[in-house]
This record gives sequence, structure tokens and C-alpha cells, in this order.
Amino acid sequence: MQLQRLWLRDFRSYASAELTFAPGLTALLGANGEGKTNVMEAIGYLATLSSFRGVPNEALVRRGCATAVVRAEGERDGRQLLIEAEITTSGRGRVQVNKQRLARARDLLGALRVSVFSPDDLELVKGGPAERRRYLDDTLVSRQPKLDAVRSDLDRVLRQRNALLRQAGGRVTAEIDATLAVWDAKLVEAGEALGDARAALVDDLAPVLSAAYDQVAGRAAHVRLGYLAPWREAGLARALEDVRADELRRGISLVGPHRDELVVTLDDMPARTHASQGEQRSVALALRLAAHRVVTEATGSPPILLLDDVFSELDPDRSAALLAHLPPSQTVLSSAAGLPQGAEPELVLRVAGGTVAAADPGLS
Amino acid sequence: MTVYAGPVQDLIDELGRLPGVGPKSAQRIAFHLLKLPKDDALRLANAIAVVKDRVTFCHTCFNISEGERCGICGDPRRDTHVVCVVEEPRDIVAVEKTGEFKGRYHVLQGAISPIEGIGPDQLRVKELLARLEPEGIDEVILCTNPNIEGEATAMYLGRLLKPLGLKVTRIASGLPVGGDLEYADELTLGRALEGRRELD
Repeated sequence: MQLQRLWLRDFRSYASAELTFAPGLTALLGANGEGKTNVMEAIGYLATLSSFRGVPNEALVRRGCATAVVRAEGERDGRQLLIEAEITTSGRGRVQVNKQRLARARDLLGALRVSVFSPDDLELVKGGPAERRRYLDDTLVSRQPKLDAVRSDLDRVLRQRNALLRQAGGRVTAEIDATLAVWDAKLVEAGEALGDARAALVDDLAPVLSAAYDQVAGRAAHVRLGYLAPWREAGLARALEDVRADELRRGISLVGPHRDELVVTLDDMPARTHASQGEQRSVALALRLAAHRVVTEATGSPPILLLDDVFSELDPDRSAALLAHLPPSQTVLSSAAGLPQGAEPELVLRVAGGTVAAADPGLS
Repeated sequence: MTVYAGPVQDLIDELGRLPGVGPKSAQRIAFHLLKLPKDDALRLANAIAVVKDRVTFCHTCFNISEGERCGICGDPRRDTHVVCVVEEPRDIVAVEKTGEFKGRYHVLQGAISPIEGIGPDQLRVKELLARLEPEGIDEVILCTNPNIEGEATAMYLGRLLKPLGLKVTRIASGLPVGGDLEYADELTLGRALEGRRELD
């Protein structure tokens, strides 16, 4: 979707705000803590129904308020689209598209897609495996929204299965055994579906990633991706049998997509441990760029690029390289330190004290 | 949260324990009850008391019942060979509205959910097994909810009942009648395709 206008009510620091976006590049400028990221987060919310900062939805509602509203108007396949999402501190939020309420909020996924770049992306490379699993799953859902159901099914099955393993306390009665067999079957069903989808995604990302790294870092290097899921060889059912005793002893599910690892190597060494800080930054940018391209390729239209304060962390060479290689699509960029060199926004918005105002693009 | 005078706060707390009632709604209902004429309020209190006194669960199928046997189990026109297994008594009402089912029911009183501490032993599974022979049941329809817990329960029961030589069926999941294909969500449409059947 091409985003044209955005309204916020009681969202984060905003009591009420209205913003307009350019078809190409829009820049949000303002000092730190004025609410630039909040705008990005609101756009991101409409894409995933969660915050890209990884906080619970309650945190998005302005302090002292019970509900927040994010409304966006834009164009998709030649049609005007009005998306309205209500976020509540208690209970489920509601979503309307063109004034029609969606039966399930999840049905919104895919209407508006985003690719977010943020300074936290470094964690993709430096952080634990959970960060990289989330990266894969977010990209999967962006590419194919129905996989969100598989992902949440797996979550639910794991919670139920872990509860059962804990209750068993190491002892297997006939009842525990029969019930566990059912949860095993459910875990195999959801787990293999997600594992297969992730492996296929990694195959698609790998060639794109290397090219993206070369562009961002300005030098050719071998960046490789490996999806480590040892259970996929013999199948999840078999792998579960093998760890049964261990699982019962520890009261937790030990194999499945929730324990898999996405390994990124730079010139055949693990990027997490062997790359320099600058190289890690380039790898993180390349991972985001690669995901953006893969999603664009699969869906036929590029997601909105949200560049949240990324340039503050990059040296001028990398900034210029990133700007030069961003695919042409609607982009929203935020910066506390003025515009990065080479950025030519069609629209500049100044953010200060919970308000947003259009500014002359010439002044920055 | 503001604390009101003792009895009022007690009422709000009690209402807040009801399913689907949050603190705000509990407060609203409590103040509505306070404004109500005494007779109206007592009628509600009485209705609750009478229900707890008189209504119990059917000893056969665990549907809600005014006596030992519910109306459906006591109805001689019902087909005794087929039993429809549901999670809650309210599911019986839903199936009854279809008018398509002439057999009897069995209410599990929940679904397998280890998070809530519910396993087969907490459900009316043994009671279902005990009914099979005496009632001459030869088909069991598993009519639990199409969510993770309901599917797991159906799978558990299926594995338990199949070896006994019964016909075990699971209700189909699919498209709402009178709807348009283009508005169906992918998940439901996918399931409907999976469960397609040949035209006869």
C-alpha cells in the first residue's frame, strides 16, 4: 500500500496528530525523544499488529488512556484504502478496513507491508538466536501472511506441551503418555510447516544477501546463511522420540523450530563472533535489504521502507552506499542529526513536543 | 483503582470474576444494580440461587439438567446409536439449532489444556467410554472446537475410540453457507479444500 495520510490518537507520546506522506521519500526530523520513532512504530503496527520495538501492545497507548487509534489512508492496486486500528490496554484490539470491521485482526496482515531498519538491527548479528528466528518469521509472514497462523499455532502448542511436560514431573503415566502423543502430533504438524517455510526462505535470501552486502560494504565478501535444524533430517517425530527422556527430565520442549538457529557467516567465519563492529553493521543492513527484496519479489510490490535513525550509526561511506542501493519505493526516514548526505526528500516533517509540522524541504 | 464502600466493592469484585467482564464493566453493572428497584435486583439474585439449587448435570451426558436425566437423554425418539461429543453444554444448543442431528450428546466439560491443568482425567472421558456398550453406540462424532485445544482433544479421543471398532468422525471445517469465496480467509478456505468431497 502507498501511504498517504496517517492519524494518531493517544498513541505513545501523541495525543492527536495528522501526517501526510510523499509517494517517494519523506524525512522526519527532530531532536531525540520528540516522537519520530513513535510515528514509525504506528505505521509498523498496521503492518504486523505489533510493535517492531518488541514491546507489548499496552505500551503503545498513551499514559493514562485506555485506547489508542492509528488510522491510515492510502492507495493499493488503484483503490483507496482506509485502515483503522484500535489498540486497548486490556483485551483485543479492533481493526476496520474501509469502515468494515474485520472478523479477525489478523486478516489485516498483508494490506500494508513494511521493512524496518533500526539501530537495534545490530542485534540481528550480535544477539541471541531468538533475534534471528524472529527476523525469519517476520519476513515469512510479510511474504505470505497466512504463515502467521502457523507461527501462532506453534507458539500455543509449545506452551501447552511445556505445561504438560512440567506437570509430568519426570513420571510417565499412561494418561500423560497418551496426551503427550497428541501434543507431539500437533508439534510435528506446526513445527514441520514452519521449519520447511524457514528453510525455503533461507534458500531465497542467500543469493540476495551476498549481493546486498557487497553494495552496503562496498567490497565483495562471502556472506552465507545456514539454517541449522538438525531435526529436519529424520523428521520432527523421530527427533522428539530421541529427546523424550531429556524433555521429561527438564520439563521443556527441546527440539523444533523454536530451538533452531540461523547462522550468518562472513568469509566463512561466524559473523556473530568474528566480524568487526562495522562489518556486523553491514551484515545487519544487508539482512534487512535482502528481506525487503525477497518480499518485494514475492508480492510484486515493495513494502514501505522505514529507516528509523539508521544513519546516526553508520559512517558516511555506508550511509551513502545504503542510500544509493535502496530499492525505489515509498520511504520514511527519521534522523536527529539532519539529513544524511545524498538524501533528497520530497517532504520534510519536523517533529517536536508531540506535534508534527511540514517544513520546507530546502531547510534541513 | 478507586475502592468503594465495602459491599459495593464486594459486588464489583464478584462481577469482575465473571467471564468477559473486566473491571470497567463490573463497575458499570454494579452501579446499574444499585439504581435498580429492589424487586428487580432480588429477582436476579433469586434466579441465580434457584439455578444453583435446581439445575445440575445430567448423569448420562453431563448436559445441564433439572433432574438426573436431561431432556435429550430422556427422549425416546432420539437415535441411541450415535453420540455427538462436545466441549460445553452451550455447544449442544448450537448443534440442536441445526435440526440435523437426531442422536444423543456427551459433554466433556472442557478440552485438553495442560496450561489450565486440564487433562483427560479432568474431562468426562471415562464416562463416555462407560456409555458405549450399554447404549449400543456405534458412531461417535467429535464436535470439539476447531482450535488447538479442541483439535488436540478430538485427536486424543479418536486414538482412544478407533481401536474399539467404532465409527469415529470429526465435523468438517469449511465455508459459511451463503458467503462468497472471495471473502473467505485463507485458513478456512485451505481447510475447506483439504476436506473436499466427491459429488455424488
